[in-house]
Amino acid sequence: MNKFLFLLSEGLKNLWRHKLTVFTAVFSVFLSLSTIGVLFIAEQNTHKLIEYMRSKYKIEVFFKDSITNDQASHYLQEIRKIPGVYSTTLITKDEALKVYRSQFGDDLTEFLQYNPLPASCVVNIKRQYDGMLKINPIIEHIKEIEGVDTVNHQGRLISRIETFYEQGLLGLSGIAFAIILVTVMIISNTIKLTIYSKKDLIKALKMIGATHTFIRMPFILEGVFQAVIGAALASALLYGAVAGANELLSQLTVFTINVQWMFLSWLFLIAIIISLFGSSRAISRFIK
Amino acid sequence: MIQLKNVSYTYRKGFGLANIDLKINDGEFVFLIGPTGSGKTTLLSLMHMEIFPESGKVTIGDFDSDTIKKRKIPTLRRSIGLISQNYHLLDDRNLFENVALPLHVIGHNQNDISEAVEEALDEVGLSGFEDHFPQELSGGEQQRACLARALIKDPKIILADEPTGNLDPVTSFDLVKLLEEINSEEGTTVFMASHNYSLIKSRNHRIVEIHDGKLRSA
Repeated sequence: MNKFLFLLSEGLKNLWRHKLTVFTAVFSVFLSLSTIGVLFIAEQNTHKLIEYMRSKYKIEVFFKDSITNDQASHYLQEIRKIPGVYSTTLITKDEALKVYRSQFGDDLTEFLQYNPLPASCVVNIKRQYDGMLKINPIIEHIKEIEGVDTVNHQGRLISRIETFYEQGLLGLSGIAFAIILVTVMIISNTIKLTIYSKKDLIKALKMIGATHTFIRMPFILEGVFQAVIGAALASALLYGAVAGANELLSQLTVFTINVQWMFLSWLFLIAIIISLFGSSRAISRFIK
Repeated sequence: MIQLKNVSYTYRKGFGLANIDLKINDGEFVFLIGPTGSGKTTLLSLMHMEIFPESGKVTIGDFDSDTIKKRKIPTLRRSIGLISQNYHLLDDRNLFENVALPLHVIGHNQNDISEAVEEALDEVGLSGFEDHFPQELSGGEQQRACLARALIKDPKIILADEPTGNLDPVTSFDLVKLLEEINSEEGTTVFMASHNYSLIKSRNHRIVEIHDGKLRSA
């Protein structure tokens, strides 16, 4: 316990002893986590946007003339089983006639003596997908159903939106990964500089019989403290920025930025993992 | 007891130690004399197990170089007080913190540490210097602070590597006298390396001489 308290106080005192290098590390953690946070918030809100767009995707399926309403209902159940399909709405022959009448004012049955409009259905697509929604397999699947005559869709547009979304997600992940990597390098180099400037301390500690863990621990704790301070500053900035932006947006639009603030605890966790990785990397090279 | 049996060690550049046999009994005071570059520091580094012999065996108390595990080396070093001409005091800590460091390593509580630091500083004549930083002390005072840091953990052995190397003759003489007092009063084994023969020739202790990595009794 005495040892732990000593090491803890050494880690804290080191923050003051190495003010300049600590400032560099804290600032880089702060910048990295703020950027990662912004990317995360952007991803969350883009997700909302893509879900909204997916709710607007519609596939119109026209059944063959010979298909009765009952048969159409049966095919609807088949369509509903296709992965990616959220719901189906049947438009019976009579309903189609009503729609025609309301839109064009003519009653087709008066001069044709029968209803030429086929039964059809509107297919809605699932909104929640982790990755890219592939619309073409769904359309192909529908086309394969026996009673289906024609399928109207915005397949190309949907595919383009989905591809753009997927590439955006990939890009965000790549940027976040690069930022984490750079932060690990910065923390590692900062700790290396600290260790280099503390050669005398390390030599003295070895001389008096300190174990490797005892020598390493203050440097590791110093790294963790830097990470926690950086994460706290980044969290405050993100919280303030989102609150400010929402205040501004509320005066201009109905759109607001939604954030699951639990993600801040992930930021702290990422910061601690980054710092542990960075400081361990530096220490293992210098203290053998 | 310190024992070296047929110990050899070679540096990459070629020089080192060859077939060293040496036995130092518990409580003995032994001088190691030799010119600069003769192998004194290498011999002390072997005893401190910073380096290991290529052949032969170094035994320090219950530990020997053949069988000691890496994780046990700190335990061995806690039983040895090492002082050198470069002091290795930490500039960003005051004397109290410097001398207290070995007890923090062992895990003593703050009250015990305060008492022990006062006692150790008193023993080397540095009472009242607790708040001073190393750069505020003379060479002799720094060396005595270094000795206090070595003494605070009640070592069985003191290895002194040219402790008077940066000191004037009077301060050097005082330091040797202090080591002698510790040896006679505490029964601590002292092995002191020096190239200054005039400093040690009048002392009534065994002297071993090292020359070109080989040992002989002086």
